[in-house]
Amino acid sequence: MEGKIGLIFNGVWSQYAMASSSKYRQIYELLYVHELNSAQLSKFDALVIPFQSHQEALAEHRELLYDFLVSGKKIAVFGDSTPKWIEATWEDRPVNNYWWVADPNNPPIAHTDREHPVFRPLVPRHACWHVHGVYTQTPEHAEIIQRNAEGETITWQTSHYGGILFVSTLDPIVEHGIQQIRHLDNFVDSLTEWLCGVRPLGSFEICPEHYGVADYRW
Amino acid sequence: MKRALVVSNGIGAEQAFPSTKEICFDVVQVVPSLALELAGYDLLVVPNGADHVAMFRNRVKVREFLDQGKALACFCGWFMDWIPGNRWIHDNEHPTKQVRHYKGDDPLGLLDGVDLGRLDHNEHGISGWWSCGYIQAATGANTLIYDTWGRSMVITDSVSTAGLMFLTASGPLGSYGRYYDATSPIARMYENFLKHICSANQLAIG
Repeated sequence: MEGKIGLIFNGVWSQYAMASSSKYRQIYELLYVHELNSAQLSKFDALVIPFQSHQEALAEHRELLYDFLVSGKKIAVFGDSTPKWIEATWEDRPVNNYWWVADPNNPPIAHTDREHPVFRPLVPRHACWHVHGVYTQTPEHAEIIQRNAEGETITWQTSHYGGILFVSTLDPIVEHGIQQIRHLDNFVDSLTEWLCGVRPLGSFEICPEHYGVADYRW
Repeated sequence: MKRALVVSNGIGAEQAFPSTKEICFDVVQVVPSLALELAGYDLLVVPNGADHVAMFRNRVKVREFLDQGKALACFCGWFMDWIPGNRWIHDNEHPTKQVRHYKGDDPLGLLDGVDLGRLDHNEHGISGWWSCGYIQAATGANTLIYDTWGRSMVITDSVSTAGLMFLTASGPLGSYGRYYDATSPIARMYENFLKHICSANQLAIG
């Protein structure tokens, strides 16, 4: 593994903030969703599709994404999705981002398969912050990784298409970029290492000179 | 009736900007090589969660629009340099639980009826929930809201161009009825701004 992850990018500031931070910019590279092409992707070990992605644009690149999986690599998808490009049904739910204050013993995720490599190194509190919807239907070949208290699926994965497609309604990339939830280094670093074999080091530093830029690439 | 254009990047942010009796909102979707057509509009809205790559590629059109005396509202962290005279910078060096909001200069009355305490703490007592980073405001711009460290969180700028800019440090404003009622600062500031846009002297120097 080379330790390179392509972050499919919708021009959103928090996606940029996470990838461009000192800790992650040597591993992650932004791929503007409206300019995706197959030639770009061969150098990456994995792709990440974050929350706040452009679903219609992703659907237009469906073939490209599944060709990437066929090559034996990984794709991690966060937040919402549509059946136009994922064989599953995502449904919206109100976001509960205050449970840790109002009802700390009742997090939005009730069950996590702690044997999964992303979650194995994490304490329970680092495997859950808030979620954006649920999956009410997943493919028959899906392994369920996380569920909420109602038994609805939060995180699942499959190797049916080749490689691994990992899908979750968590939003680690956007929230880590926002930097209001300060324990997300744990999840994102574990995810990153699982995706590309390289564990990020150091602290999440924001450089002012990376803002007000004329080019989102570095 | 006034006309406004909302730029949508496919995440549904335009739902917070429904048309009213006074102002008609159109939506333009970001597509590859988006070229904004702003003729006939009074207001351009760039909502929270926007595509700043697309906006940077349309920066000349935005500048021309403002130079015609029109208005821009951006409620997102513009990490690319497409807004004349002003720069947004992300920051994680200050504890979010210490974020408080203080009233600055508000000549346009955009803070009328706005309870800054509800920005300080949401209904669950959480601080630092609304905005991120800060604005390096242009010389002559008005800072409506400062944070704990004296940084600009919300500004109006009617000096950098012939038009009016209303900018937040990534704090969302709009009609988010599912999460924030009409009395919330998010809704109230936005409604005050729309009232100003719809009034006869909408481009009064602030």
